[in-house]
Amino acid sequence: MKLTSRYEQTSCRLILEGLPDLSAGQSSQTIGILTGFSLALAGNTEMEGQRDHLQALLDVVLPYARQLISGVSRPIGADDVPVAIRPAAGGHELELRSSQPNTPPLQLRLDDAELADLVRCLDRLQLDAQVAVPLVWPQLKPLRRSELRHRLPLARRLAAPLSGVAALLIAAGFASMLPNPRPPASAPAAVSTPSRGG
Amino acid sequence: MADAPLHPQRALSRRGLERLDLLLLCAEALDLNGGEAMVWLSEEMGLTSLFPNRVELWKRRCSNPLRRTTRRDPLTEAEADGLIRILNALADRLYPMLRSLLSSAESPQLSEQRWALFRSRLQELLQERFNPRRGGVQRLLDPEEGPGLCRELIQTMALSAGPGGFARLKASLMDAAA
Repeated sequence: MKLTSRYEQTSCRLILEGLPDLSAGQSSQTIGILTGFSLALAGNTEMEGQRDHLQALLDVVLPYARQLISGVSRPIGADDVPVAIRPAAGGHELELRSSQPNTPPLQLRLDDAELADLVRCLDRLQLDAQVAVPLVWPQLKPLRRSELRHRLPLARRLAAPLSGVAALLIAAGFASMLPNPRPPASAPAAVSTPSRGG
Repeated sequence: MADAPLHPQRALSRRGLERLDLLLLCAEALDLNGGEAMVWLSEEMGLTSLFPNRVELWKRRCSNPLRRTTRRDPLTEAEADGLIRILNALADRLYPMLRSLLSSAESPQLSEQRWALFRSRLQELLQERFNPRRGGVQRLLDPEEGPGLCRELIQTMALSAGPGGFARLKASLMDAAA
């Protein structure tokens, strides 16, 4: 018996189709084996794929949303994975690379609202108790300082160390203009006086 | 012991606290009844043991160092989680509004009017409650830099809404200091 699970949010519709994995002791209403999924994004044709494609999609979209919520927008997805996402003018560009040879990759433009819709659909899928497909969900971790660094503009980041170096140079310049202390005139006389007695 | 956190009693960093309270303020700027909604949602979600009344809720929000009247006692993890949960529920309620602000499909004129309304309300709230001598507040009030920061706040709220929003926002509020 084929089961379907739908997740809809304004501009995004994700539908999973599958079968219950009765051998794993799941109920007959739980999708345990994914036979396919389809994803429709705003104004674009529907895309279809298998479990690997769904895994590749959430491997890039959820970490991208995670860094975006911290104000960091950096591309995610290497050249050899089926899905990649990167910031584009006024939004985001989702690139879907076909496994068929000689098929050019499909590029989809999403604005901030459409990306948020897609993320909400994936969140709902993650927490759906009716879906027990073995998918690996990316972990949500606080970003490290090095990952956040580019949030500050270069000029502002360099301002503190540069002004420190400048202050040191100015202070060194002034210090070098101070006259060297002269030894007191009476000191050599005291040294040259021969010792009495002997 | 090398892995022990620097401030074991502190649930959120200073910047995390600032952002969380600022996001709650955005919810108030988007919804005129936002303050009431927070109290109501806190009761609805069974957080009355953490925030028994509106004064306690307000006192916990005042641990934000950017406030005019700031309180020194740090938030516990349970209190921080409670506030994040309230924000998550508020963002979920406001999601259609957040979406229409972020969408490029709306008419540019209407969209600009909505942004102008949101920014003016947020500025009013900032001037009323936040310390205008702080750099973070001045940047938000700055006519050049302010709109971009407002958009970042709305985008953060949109991604904090929904079922996965709590965990995502919590991880973000615990980012290392930039």
